[in-house]
Amino acid sequence: MANSEINQKQYHNPTSLTEQSMGKDIGEDSTGCLERIRLLEQQNAALEEALQEARDANQAKSQFLSSMSHDIRTPMNAIVGMVSIALSHIDEKPRVQDCLGKIQTASAHLMSLVNDVLDMSRIDSGRMSLREEAFSLADLVHDISVVVRPQAVQRNHNLQMEIGTILQENLVGDVLRLRQILVNIIGNAVKYTPDGGEIRVRLSQCPVPAEFPMAGSPASIRESLVPGSEPVLLEFQCSDNGIGMSREFLDRIFEPFERVHSAATSKIEGTGLGMSIVKNLVDRMGGRIQVESREGEGSRFDIAIPLATAPQDAKSLNLPTGQTVLVAESLEEPAGQMAAILQDGGLQPLRMQAGLDAVTWLTEAQYENHMPCALLLGQELEDMSVLELARHVRQLAGMDFPILLVSEADWAQIEFQASRAGVNAFVPCPLFQSRLLGTLADLTSHRHQDTGSPEDMEADYSGCHILLVEDNALNQEIALELLSVTGANVQVADDGAQAVELFAASPEGYFDLIFMDVQMPVMDGYEATRQIRAMPRQDARDIWIVAMTANAFVEDIRLSQKAGMNEHFSKPLDPGHLREILHRQLRN
Amino acid sequence: MQPYQEEYIANLREIARLTARKKASGQSFDAFLSELALDGEAARRIACRNNDLLREKLFPMLDHLPQATVEDLQDLQVFAGELMTWGKELDTGLFCQIHQALLNLARLNKDRNSMIRELYWLGMGYNSLYNKTIGLEVPGAEKYTSQMRLCFAEAAAYLKYFDEIPDTDTRGYILRSRANMSLGTFKTASEKIRLVKQTLQILQDADYRQTEPDLPWDRYLSMTHQQMAASISHSREQSMSPEDITDVMESVYIVYNTQFQEAAARGEQPPVRYAFPYNAIEYYCGLITLDTLLTRLEDLMDHADSTDYSANGMYALVSLPAFYCQYLQEYPDLVPRRTEYIASLYEKILQYVDAFPGTEKSEHLFLYLRQLSVTFLETDNSISYSTFMQKLMIRFAPETYIHSRIVAMAATAFCDMILEEDPSFFDDMEEVRYILDMSEKRHLLLDYAMESGTLHDVGKLNFMNLYSQTGRQWFKEEYEMAQLHTAVGNSYLSSRFSTRPYAAVAHGHHTWYDASRGYPESYKRLECPYRQMVDVIGLVDWLENVTNTAQLRIGVDKTFEDAIADAIALEGKRFSPLLTARLRDSQVAERLRQAFDAGFQDACRHLYEDAV
Repeated sequence: MANSEINQKQYHNPTSLTEQSMGKDIGEDSTGCLERIRLLEQQNAALEEALQEARDANQAKSQFLSSMSHDIRTPMNAIVGMVSIALSHIDEKPRVQDCLGKIQTASAHLMSLVNDVLDMSRIDSGRMSLREEAFSLADLVHDISVVVRPQAVQRNHNLQMEIGTILQENLVGDVLRLRQILVNIIGNAVKYTPDGGEIRVRLSQCPVPAEFPMAGSPASIRESLVPGSEPVLLEFQCSDNGIGMSREFLDRIFEPFERVHSAATSKIEGTGLGMSIVKNLVDRMGGRIQVESREGEGSRFDIAIPLATAPQDAKSLNLPTGQTVLVAESLEEPAGQMAAILQDGGLQPLRMQAGLDAVTWLTEAQYENHMPCALLLGQELEDMSVLELARHVRQLAGMDFPILLVSEADWAQIEFQASRAGVNAFVPCPLFQSRLLGTLADLTSHRHQDTGSPEDMEADYSGCHILLVEDNALNQEIALELLSVTGANVQVADDGAQAVELFAASPEGYFDLIFMDVQMPVMDGYEATRQIRAMPRQDARDIWIVAMTANAFVEDIRLSQKAGMNEHFSKPLDPGHLREILHRQLRN
Repeated sequence: MQPYQEEYIANLREIARLTARKKASGQSFDAFLSELALDGEAARRIACRNNDLLREKLFPMLDHLPQATVEDLQDLQVFAGELMTWGKELDTGLFCQIHQALLNLARLNKDRNSMIRELYWLGMGYNSLYNKTIGLEVPGAEKYTSQMRLCFAEAAAYLKYFDEIPDTDTRGYILRSRANMSLGTFKTASEKIRLVKQTLQILQDADYRQTEPDLPWDRYLSMTHQQMAASISHSREQSMSPEDITDVMESVYIVYNTQFQEAAARGEQPPVRYAFPYNAIEYYCGLITLDTLLTRLEDLMDHADSTDYSANGMYALVSLPAFYCQYLQEYPDLVPRRTEYIASLYEKILQYVDAFPGTEKSEHLFLYLRQLSVTFLETDNSISYSTFMQKLMIRFAPETYIHSRIVAMAATAFCDMILEEDPSFFDDMEEVRYILDMSEKRHLLLDYAMESGTLHDVGKLNFMNLYSQTGRQWFKEEYEMAQLHTAVGNSYLSSRFSTRPYAAVAHGHHTWYDASRGYPESYKRLECPYRQMVDVIGLVDWLENVTNTAQLRIGVDKTFEDAIADAIALEGKRFSPLLTARLRDSQVAERLRQAFDAGFQDACRHLYEDAV
């Protein structure tokens, strides 16, 4: 930088030196003359250097413009092309949808290019400031996972996200910029690894070491600490078996506009600003970034950033300490992680790798009256899908038995299937202690507060109102018995006509759920549903109506749907299925 | 049983008789057609009666099951037992419904013995469903294996309390459930062998035997050895450890010796089904080469009596060739000098099937034929896979065949009309895109429409009972299972060279044009190189279903005119607007209707030719 400043001054005022040399040329001795020649040569060399730098800067600017115009043109071409294709196939909805999807992708890319340039500009002009706000590391990792996992799936990569030792999940820092750093690094691994690659991401924490080089920053971090809490060093590692980088490129990796150039990367989009932004952000956060890479073998990035910690949530978890949690997972690492977290929470993990073993053990536990406090389903079993196991355990263990699913999948995509199979709750991967123990505590708190046996304990739906429409006295009794322990207020109608009357007389929004028998005297369930749906009130349209019947033909299901019922519930009552409906409809 | 239950069972038997393949001895085509129509109508009428019986009698009873009397419950169990007996499935779907209801009741009442019994029977029901997906790796099929094993595993878990359970029957159910945990295919042969071995150890344990001496221990033991011996049929050489081979070999010799002695006492040869594992284990042990094993199998097949319609005969003439072809599929270098033999083998099998008397054993025969269809080997000399599968449809699923031919004829007519207006309409197909001669192009396209239409529902063969012998409307679970037919069809057709081009149609004909619904998820319309043709078959298939075949199974019955109007209403959602736009032309609709009639006549003609 210092050299560059001198050269710039010389470059901007070259004539002063020349005039001075020319003026003093007369009457000087040969020694002085030689000295001046030497000086002149030095000055000329400096001028040439300055000129070269100016040329380089100009070339970099040209390259940037060329690169940007290419990079901007590429998605723009896609957008223009796709709009044209969509217009010429406007009657083919799937084709148009396909084009719109591609336009969306190209637009998002275009936006990221512009954002990169703006970020770089902010960094260059010193206008980039970092925020200090409390955030949850679990939320941050989940957000990152939501962004990068679909990209990895699309490329058929095996993306493993592991969580090591975490000292404190509640941190203070600029979470948006942290996210930007981590998404950028993982995103590059996804982009620069050939399809079907291995990408391993690991996140952990340790106390900030005394010798940590960024001494200034932890001081400011310490200012934001609450008394008694220590800053932590967030360590992030991302390794891949991608195309890697040459030694020459590694020297320039953090310079703006630098990108790996090879046949393999010619189709990969990017400005070459990402790593430069990452480096600047890490520096400004007082952290450090290191990279190791070998061409054709892969790369590894190590980032360490000191962060202040936020106070812990004062609410203590109400866990059934000392009780067993059955863990069904055949994969070693996640099973080990689950076990470690459960042990930290004072619980006893018991691992099964096969669904058949889990069912055998649960049957014995039920018979011997030592059921675990919950079943924790992982991602894989040796012999079946975890949801098949959930479906059977729900029937075996009853409606109140907590079944949790730990999964890398997006919950929105699997919720329908999982809740139908009897899963009560979902914990996303990578797994955080707070998430797992918190969810477990929520699900089990009602059970261990109760003094009765596990079979007697239920979820609490007090405050919810259920209308049970059933003509048969014994069926009423059974359903009431199953429903009453949930705390829900259950009103009974003996036939469809009574149900219509009860619903009409209730205040708007009073009932949360209706269980409707189909074959009843006076008025059947179909007609009662039709009449309820036809009432001129909002809740008549919104109320969830469950057909409760043994009529199981496809046509029967269609008829109940046509009458306005939302779902079909087979008799005799299956407590597991009932539990699932209550959980799904009343939990909020 | 209660009267309605007896009537229901009798109705199912009558439907099976009415829908079975007909012999047209001396009958004219018109008389054959008339009988076919009358029998079809009668079968539909009886199935409707069965719907009423279930709605009026069984479902209300299941509704009030907790208050059913002991006699009612016993009747229900006997009724369920009649629905699915060993080797004969009258109504597996209803069997599962009843046992699921009884299991729920047992759980509700915390009645341990009933729970164990119902878990066993429900497991048997799932086993029957699993059998329909044997040999196919289609997504969604594995759940039947899991459900079956979970039921058996839960019942078998009570083995720990064998001493505490004083009931002999319940103890028997526990042991049988334990043995059945090893039913079905496993990821590795070792897993299966390990489970069977554990069962053998339990069955030979003196303590268990002393606790319950009244159980038929030796029969259980013999059946479990047979299970171990049979596991060689499902195992590949590489997936068995030397220890596994030793375990299987021991059982094979025990079973073979027993059978050998029993056969010798009767003055007969031991059954072929036990001779195969006896020979195969020698190959797995390295005592003989694969070539020798194949030669021995050829010898067994050649000496089989082609008029033996017993289980042993069926095994020798149909199942053994399936195993034989499976070896050749895995080792194709052994095929060239056997091409003539393979051709004659298939010919012999078809003759055997043709002559097979229409008895209740045909279901057993069909199971073996399905096995053969999975391992079918196409050679230059042999019958084509398409012909083989069509023969199976004609023989075992005539209703599906009629539907398929109607769809094929109507699709061909529709394609012809489209080509008249737009010769490049099907240019997404690479095979025709560059053909300039319109006549040649039309010829190729219409051939493709006819063949793909005929084969589009070939996957239904796996679920023959659901389609051709339905004695009532479907349950939701059956509807879900039936949806596998697209993936199964795709799996069948894509794995043979001659039928590969038609796999896309089998795969995608139930997907929606806008991809919002339909199945299977694995079909991606925009990635399909035959998408216009898939759209055509999908539309025509739907029109035929809602106007004819779906009435019985899902209660949908439309007139042709209503179906056309509904298809147009689903334009851009379920059906391609490029196709529904053409349905607005009344002449096009009329030509399609005529093609439907012609397709019916054509299909019946084929059935007649097969029957005479």
